[in-house]
Amino acid sequence: MTTRNWAEPYKIKMVELIKMTSRDERLDAIREAGYNTFLLRSEDVYIDLLTDSGVGAMSDRQWAGIMMGDEAYAGSRNFYRLRDTVEEYYSYKYTVPCHQGRGAENILSQILISPGDYVPGNMYFTTTRLHQEMAGATFVDVIIDEAHDADSEHPFKGNVDFDKLDALVDEVGADKIPYVCIATCVNMAGGQPISMANLKQMRAWCDKHDIMLVHDMTRVAENAHFIQRREEGYLDKSIREIVYEICSLTDAATMSSKKDAMVNIGGFLAMNDAKFYEKACGLVVVYEGLHTYGGMAGRDMEALAIGITESVQDDHIHARVGQVQYLGRRLREAGIPIVNPIGGHAVFLNATKMLPHIPQDHFPAQALSAALYVESGVRSMERGIVSAGRDKATGENYKPKLELVRLTIPRRVYTQAHMDVTVGAVENVMQRRDEIKGLRFAYEPEVLRFFQARFEQID
Amino acid sequence: MKTIIEPFRIKMVEPIKLTTRDEREQLIENAHFNPFLLAAEDVIIDLLTDSGTSAMSAEAWAAMMRGDESYAGARSWYRFRDTVKDIFGFEQVIPTHQGRAAEHILFGVMVQPGSIVPNNTHFDTTRANVEYNSGEALDLPCAEAGDLDSDYPFKGDMDIAALEKVVAEHGPEKIPLIMVTITNNSGGGQPVSMANIREISRVARAAGIPFYIDACRFAENSQFIKRREPGFENTATIDIAREIFSYADGCTMSAKKDAFANIGGFLCTNDAELAHRERNILILTEGFPTYGGLAGRDLDAIAVGLCEILDEHYLNYRLDSTRYVVNHLLDAGIPVVAPAGGHAVYLDAARFLPHIDPLQYPGQALAIELYIEGGIRGVEIGSVMFGLDPHSGKEKPARLELLRLAIPRRVYTQSHMDYVLEATGQVWERRNEVRGVRIAEAPRFLRHFTAKFERL
Repeated sequence: MTTRNWAEPYKIKMVELIKMTSRDERLDAIREAGYNTFLLRSEDVYIDLLTDSGVGAMSDRQWAGIMMGDEAYAGSRNFYRLRDTVEEYYSYKYTVPCHQGRGAENILSQILISPGDYVPGNMYFTTTRLHQEMAGATFVDVIIDEAHDADSEHPFKGNVDFDKLDALVDEVGADKIPYVCIATCVNMAGGQPISMANLKQMRAWCDKHDIMLVHDMTRVAENAHFIQRREEGYLDKSIREIVYEICSLTDAATMSSKKDAMVNIGGFLAMNDAKFYEKACGLVVVYEGLHTYGGMAGRDMEALAIGITESVQDDHIHARVGQVQYLGRRLREAGIPIVNPIGGHAVFLNATKMLPHIPQDHFPAQALSAALYVESGVRSMERGIVSAGRDKATGENYKPKLELVRLTIPRRVYTQAHMDVTVGAVENVMQRRDEIKGLRFAYEPEVLRFFQARFEQID
Repeated sequence: MKTIIEPFRIKMVEPIKLTTRDEREQLIENAHFNPFLLAAEDVIIDLLTDSGTSAMSAEAWAAMMRGDESYAGARSWYRFRDTVKDIFGFEQVIPTHQGRAAEHILFGVMVQPGSIVPNNTHFDTTRANVEYNSGEALDLPCAEAGDLDSDYPFKGDMDIAALEKVVAEHGPEKIPLIMVTITNNSGGGQPVSMANIREISRVARAAGIPFYIDACRFAENSQFIKRREPGFENTATIDIAREIFSYADGCTMSAKKDAFANIGGFLCTNDAELAHRERNILILTEGFPTYGGLAGRDLDAIAVGLCEILDEHYLNYRLDSTRYVVNHLLDAGIPVVAPAGGHAVYLDAARFLPHIDPLQYPGQALAIELYIEGGIRGVEIGSVMFGLDPHSGKEKPARLELLRLAIPRRVYTQSHMDYVLEATGQVWERRNEVRGVRIAEAPRFLRHFTAKFERL
């Protein structure tokens, strides 16, 4: 395959200037930020690959939608448009807007979970698991073992292992499982997809046990791309059709529309059950806002509705994933250890292999992320032991098998030249990797510690 | 000059769809006689709320285009934080997607089961957030607040003697914070005097209880102080605002009111340890501490709005144009809360419809009639909103039965207001025919938003 099998199906209409910094300036900046890239000022960052969440470039049509906001407190026309779009593209009958994905997770967890419940899922996500725990549930990872192996070439590392699910039912009983949470394009596994076949089996399993199937659909369109390319019988189906089919197999969904749908803010909880919807309306008003805006400005609901239609265009998603694949392949060609296969939204550097001299409890991925910033001004995110946090029962660090640095590509923002600079930066870090030192906590927050933790170097 | 002139001109318009009376009869029935359930496009003049419905300026729109959407450490965040610090003076600034989220976080960390939170009058989401955390939301309005005809200049004041009594009785163990809402929304949008704020602060500090301000309409309140309180005639409004906050330990703010924003809010405190705990909740329910669930562009729009709102020409126009409506209603003999507040006109439904029992919700009945008459949407502030104790499930009449007509900032013209006056006059003419309503179904918390009604 050549590298030139994709090109952006858009041209640039508005630009944002970025500041270049010197190495000395970056050394000061990262020290001031306690070696945590979350604590850097964005203006000190050259290429910002911290996240793909809320950082996409909207289209001119979305910006036009921003101007069409109906900011009425109740019954805004943008809400009806959003609701109709969700049903048309994602199949869910009822939509409860939320200011972002974690708002939807909060409401979902509070309504469905009773203390003592278990929620199985295809790998944890930081905020999702915490909401489940806050509501009294225990998260159980039922993803296939290959997902935890950075080198496995399994095409659908987001798949569920039904032996693990059956074992859980045997152990705790189906009545202790309020729902199964399935993410499309599993973030913590490296942006890895779930197959349609596995999802169909999941549907049948849930029907058999009378358990609800909830879809974490943040990156559903990217997942659809992999199904189209890798799963038999889907090459002739459009992304839009595949997305609809995926959603149809599930009962409800949480959506952070800051990813696939290319908006800067917003999300929703969607479902087919009228009773569930009524409960969600009662709760959303406490946390988020009235059920016809849920904490979103009218204009943002409009931009979201338009973003949904753009997110399922084949040309768009091929260019999107194509750019991520380009970066991943270039890194691989340069001998950089990354998670394979390359995912849909990010390339994950394997810090365990890049920095073998740093033990996991000296936070190699955190150290690598800081070093990459100093080298080049590229901002990345740790996805390893720091993100995994501590077991709430034992107080011990979770020790994930994957110790990764995520290079997350914002949608429609950076060019191929930006990707090339990123590759060069990682190569430079690789060459002087022996100089990189491990880290220890200078300050460790109790929950979701990776966001605000501060570190110091171990000499 | 008697003419009230807007210190701005119109740069962008939004067309309004007109409906007939017959259509509206059907539409309100379809909406279960709850204006909250109407589609906005079926409303001609939308006075449901002044929250998030204002017109931003060209400057604020320009700032929106400069929004830095970086997840962490965005430039928009620093501009926002510095502006909030400059005006409000608190050390810790926590952005939230809107005001109720700030309340949710504040009460989540401070209120325990059995806690008592005194306020001049809690507004709906504030009360709900206190009660949701199993605390008691205690209203301590001054005596004049209950007299709708009194022209006392600061009917938003808290009853200091009552506050001292509650504090003496329960102390800081049971009272995690004392709050004052400026202006007092549930009590008719009436301002709180600087003297009263100083007194609350004195009582709070003597007892070692944190003092918080619900700051939604701080600029309007500051301008009332300038106009009505001796000694402030020559003080700049921004300095009045700064003095208000200097007496407090923190504040909650809905930027959808006195910052002209369509979305956004924040929480402030001087207590770093408390802010630390608040940010832990923030990350879970709202977002990372440098965006708190807001787009970067919204942080920028708020920063611009906070500066614009303190323009004294704007504030004089704002207060005068609200007073214009109230005075015309008074001239027509229509019962209304006087003197005029800042952001809304409050029709006194109890006296407007004396033949309707409080638990047949005269405010709701009036809201329905005004919609049918003119396509005007207001909100009941009475026994629907405040009549139900969510813990006991018992219902009792609220202190006041009002219909609030909230005026969005910089959105409607004087001719729109003349139309509202005309429609209200026509309902007044046929008031004896108006029937009460009953609740067909409603949730336990914040029931007014989604309740379904039937006409009696």
